Amino acid sequence: MAQTWLISGPPGCGKTTWMLNTLKNHQGQRGYLRLPGISTTGLEQADDGAIDQTYLQDQITDLIDLSNTDQAPNDQEQQLNLIELTQFEPPSSSALEGVDSSVIQQLEALGLRLDRALHFGRDDDLPKDDTLEFSRLEAWSMPLERCVWDPNSLSSFWFELVNGAYGDVYRAKALMNLPDGRAFFCNWMVSQGGSQFLPLESVAPPDGRPKRCSMLSVQGKALDGGGIQATIADCLLSDEVLELHQEPQRQQAELTQAL
Amino acid sequence: MERWALISGLKGDLELYEQIQRDLQATRGVNTLFVLGDVISPERNCDALWDRLQNPKRGDLRPNCIYGWWEEQLLAETGFRGDRKADALRLNHGEEVVDALLRAVDPAHLRWLVSLQFGFVELDCGLIHGSSADIGDELTPETSPLILIDRLTRLDVNRLFTARSAQQFRLELTGGGIDSHVKALGGEHKQQQPVPKRSVIGIGAGAHYTIYDAGSDRVDFLKAGAKAVANGRGFG
Amino acid sequence: MSHAVISCLHANLAATEAVLADIDRQGIEHITCLGDLVGYGPQPNEVVELIRQRQIPTCQGCWDEDIIDGLNSCECSYPSQLAERRGHRAHQWTDAQLSEENKAFLASLPMTVRRERLLFVHGSPNSQHEYLLPDMDAFAALERVESSGANTLFCGHTHMPYVRELSGGSIRVKVKQAGEEAASERKLELPMRRIVNAGSVGEPRHGSTEATYVIHHEDSDEIEIREVAYDIERTCRAIVDGGLPEVFAWRLSHGFEYAERADDASHVCER
Repeated sequence: MAQTWLISGPPGCGKTTWMLNTLKNHQGQRGYLRLPGISTTGLEQADDGAIDQTYLQDQITDLIDLSNTDQAPNDQEQQLNLIELTQFEPPSSSALEGVDSSVIQQLEALGLRLDRALHFGRDDDLPKDDTLEFSRLEAWSMPLERCVWDPNSLSSFWFELVNGAYGDVYRAKALMNLPDGRAFFCNWMVSQGGSQFLPLESVAPPDGRPKRCSMLSVQGKALDGGGIQATIADCLLSDEVLELHQEPQRQQAELTQAL
Repeated sequence: MERWALISGLKGDLELYEQIQRDLQATRGVNTLFVLGDVISPERNCDALWDRLQNPKRGDLRPNCIYGWWEEQLLAETGFRGDRKADALRLNHGEEVVDALLRAVDPAHLRWLVSLQFGFVELDCGLIHGSSADIGDELTPETSPLILIDRLTRLDVNRLFTARSAQQFRLELTGGGIDSHVKALGGEHKQQQPVPKRSVIGIGAGAHYTIYDAGSDRVDFLKAGAKAVANGRGFG
Repeated sequence: MSHAVISCLHANLAATEAVLADIDRQGIEHITCLGDLVGYGPQPNEVVELIRQRQIPTCQGCWDEDIIDGLNSCECSYPSQLAERRGHRAHQWTDAQLSEENKAFLASLPMTVRRERLLFVHGSPNSQHEYLLPDMDAFAALERVESSGANTLFCGHTHMPYVRELSGGSIRVKVKQAGEEAASERKLELPMRRIVNAGSVGEPRHGSTEATYVIHHEDSDEIEIREVAYDIERTCRAIVDGGLPEVFAWRLSHGFEYAERADDASHVCER
């Protein structure tokens, strides 16, 4: 029988990191699902797109996507299924009784039944130190599929974003493409010291724009979406500049092949 | 093992180039030829040499070329340097020489000339016609060592090969240092910086050229048509 | 006698007024300005007119030059595409604002100002675009001062004030020339020289938002680095009201340069 756990908590509390480590350490089959978060008055859910899914899938190549019922069995012996849910308030009661009925319904529709429910900030099995109290939160996101960043511009933009140039940002999370074919999972939380920039294992080939998921998702107060968008437009590479980066990469690849 | 021949200042002289190629064929182990500019000059038509450099004959050591002071004048005069014309040439040699330079090279060659680089960095060596500061920079054994350190530092190389002065020399920085004391709002910082162990090598021009053995760091100064490299003449 | 050296005003009127008031309070009559009167900031005409009115000897900065000659600064001096786009936007804005008379004044500025053995430049004696950073190779730094025939070189451009003394230097060399049997050796004793960076009045980036400049106390030959608080809010409002990118106001109010500086100290524009 598989084990299916619901992992909930507020944005940026470390759910994805904890789930990645737990899944990496698990010996059997591994499944993952991210549920749309439960909205609370004044606290907007971020549109995360598939940032977490893409990152985890990149790190654990045989990860089973539980939202896709055709893909693979979700109930193998030794299988561990982790369900991610952004939820600001701790559940009303501990363990499974506290889980929102809409969550149960969504999982049932996918043929999943919960064995455990853990909430960041409440359950001792989860790390404690980086959980924040939220009272009001806006969300802003921007799809960046096929966009490629000038690397130094990305670093300037990210610096401005997390230091408050575009409003009070509490949380920023993104998947960003670079001209050398790499992509980075960028992660920042106001309660933590610095940003994480984690490279994906998969590298896009140097022939045009990469096709993988790419987006920016921000949560905070008084967010200046227009300002963010304007700066991003100045950071993204044109087709011509991208080609200047990719042409030598293609030549290098040909040379390596020839050798 | 890398063993380089470095030549410059051929000034359109195909015969001289052929002589150097013959010398190199007779010299053991030379595997790379660098031509550090001044392939052209107003003194004669340079098209034959130009053709030969672009289309080496069988047996020629393939030349790796950069542009020199004369090429820079031609590029400027023919509009490849923005508003700048061959001012330095005009000032020093007059209008007639500018015209002679334009006549010395078939304009069809300009496309290749434009594609040439300012210099090469190979291993930890910089190869430039003048210096990292300017194509017309004449570095000689008498140049202040302070200027030489600056030119080496700008390229961040341990050896700088230069041709502009036409002299053949090797100047090694062997010792010394300097005290630096910086005061800023955040505090003070003192530092003793030693002189880096680096060299500037003048490769000569025309018939005078240089062989460099990267493995042993040995430099040999030669003259085209003279006897092949003798072991005792090096300066390692 | 003492004299003040100011640099990189960047069209920041509140900062310029505060620094000039600080200089006046100390009874200092002689001021030299190292350029970049305009660029990024919101009051290019006002700042240029203030410098003209006070008749402050000024050398030309890279921004002053570009506003006259068109955008021809070497693009490699921009550290990123974002910085370049913002720089170009600020350039166009400034170009549209600046009066012809003030442009003519900027065009008339000399590249260097010399007073006996003191040399005043914007970037370095080689180029308005070269950064003489405090940790630049000490020999290369000394070469900049020595080649220009000065004892003390005053520069700006980096927006970080410092005083660097280069002393006790020597270089030993061994020379072998073609045709000579033996190598010769010699030693060069280097003179003591000094580089003084005046920081920035209008766009500080030394870790604080206060304007910086330096005072040269000529009797003792000592250099004093001064920090002056000014009404940043006033400048930030003018940035937003003037239609410059709002992020400029944010960067200024946090002590970050509008465009991050290029890191390469030894980079020389080949233009």
